Amino acid sequence: MPRIRVILLKEWRESLRNKMILFGAIFLPLVMVGAAEVMVYQGRGIDIPGAQIALFNTALMYFLILPAIIPLAIAAYSIIGEKEQGSLEPLLATPISDLELFLAKALASVIPALVLTWLSFGLFLGISFPLVGGIPPHVLTAPWIAAIFGLSPLLSLFSVGITLLVSSRATDARAAYQVSSFGILPAIVPLIIYSSQKTLVNLGLVALEGLVLIVASIIVLYFAIKVFRREQILTRWK
Amino acid sequence: MIKTDKLTRRFGEITAVNDLNLEVEKGEVFGFLGPNGAGKTTTIRMLTALIAPTSGTAQVAQLELGRDNRDIRRRVGVLTETPGLYKRLSAIDNLLFFARLYGVPSPEKQAERYLRLFELWDRRDHLAGSFSKGMRQKLAIARALLHEPQILFLDEPTAGLDPEAAKVVRDLIETLRTDERTIFLCTHNLDEADRLCDRVALFKTRLVAVGEPQELKERLYGRRTVIHLVDPAPGIEQALDLPFIKRIERMDDALVISLTDPEKENPALVKRLVEMGAKIQFVNELRVSLEDLYLDLMEGNHAAN
Repeated sequence: MPRIRVILLKEWRESLRNKMILFGAIFLPLVMVGAAEVMVYQGRGIDIPGAQIALFNTALMYFLILPAIIPLAIAAYSIIGEKEQGSLEPLLATPISDLELFLAKALASVIPALVLTWLSFGLFLGISFPLVGGIPPHVLTAPWIAAIFGLSPLLSLFSVGITLLVSSRATDARAAYQVSSFGILPAIVPLIIYSSQKTLVNLGLVALEGLVLIVASIIVLYFAIKVFRREQILTRWK
Repeated sequence: MIKTDKLTRRFGEITAVNDLNLEVEKGEVFGFLGPNGAGKTTTIRMLTALIAPTSGTAQVAQLELGRDNRDIRRRVGVLTETPGLYKRLSAIDNLLFFARLYGVPSPEKQAERYLRLFELWDRRDHLAGSFSKGMRQKLAIARALLHEPQILFLDEPTAGLDPEAAKVVRDLIETLRTDERTIFLCTHNLDEADRLCDRVALFKTRLVAVGEPQELKERLYGRRTVIHLVDPAPGIEQALDLPFIKRIERMDDALVISLTDPEKENPALVKRLVEMGAKIQFVNELRVSLEDLYLDLMEGNHAAN
């Protein structure tokens, strides 16, 4: 465990000095909070129930896109950066285990993604008070809470798994980021479709999406762990 | 410190390292020489427990490769072909990161010790990315030494460095040999190997030859005395019939004579030539460089043993 912590701190220190990552980590959540506020503000005055619900569903979708998108850049730069600097071999020469290295690299992306997502959600609630006079309707309900706190970690894990797999074969961080973005689309598409529905998100749908994400994440992480072996990294990675 | 028995590594159809039998003693600076693609880096990767051998066994620091991989990694230090530093981290942060990964008891003190030793202390807070090649290499060697490894593997430590930086690195290696550490130096800089190594192995997928540089040269070429003459008489080399002469060659106005013990045999040789009326200009020993030896062995001009 201490070794994972050591790598986590190093990863974050490096990320904080990477303008691309820093910009994405700050700018994207702010955009999503702004967009969600616009949705609830628009929905406030609409007395057509279906339309109002679709706007609220869209607001929720923004907060579920964040945990899937934020880890992409961090994970891609984390792996490609090591490749570019030639630092993987010295790192692998330390007594760290393959699993410790994998977990450290994965958590280095998942933890900031979740923290930023939840902070953004808090900011959204905070701004809602002056904007719409309180917490918007349908937001602090069981399905929303389950989605924000239950689906977010799964979306992050899936996203990190895909990015680590793609990055193992890529030599350019931007290319890895773009390819990974396509890779995570299957996890986001249901949210996009649902955002246009006129029925409120319910626990059954959240559970179904969660189940699909658990299965998908297990498959992706299984292959990512297989790729993350010393021998593979040194002999097969590009 | 290192013992391999028929160590072999194949990548599909390609054999990178074939039946390597090697023994390296404690405190030895051991040169591992070979051309690009000879399998030197693959050998280092196997001996540092980074990749597994296809067959064969090895003991590194009295530990069994394959069984004790994690402990082996604790006891060896590696300088890889590229320094592999984190360019966005400062010199001291680079060292602290690795010191903590190796579980060094006082990471700060140890990092300071090596930064001072390698004269990088004043630049400790500068980003590694801003360092010159020579400074990066020094920092990378410091990183490899932080956990006080018993064996230090150096893969092409002076490759790509300008002569001044290369000298700094070579001087560093010289200082390291004094503290009983085993150094496994992988290089194709033969002059460097000749100067630094107690023993060298010539390697091209398989072991071609191993021994002390001087011993290898003598084993292959014997010791030779060159005598420069003024207008030597035709056929003088045939007339020189001393029993201790192993071989004699004529090169323009000089005779190249293979001897067993030149210190004892040279006076008799010179005396005989004077008696024969030869006018001697110079007498010197023909020194063979490790490069000559290497090229001859690699091109198969000599049998190794």
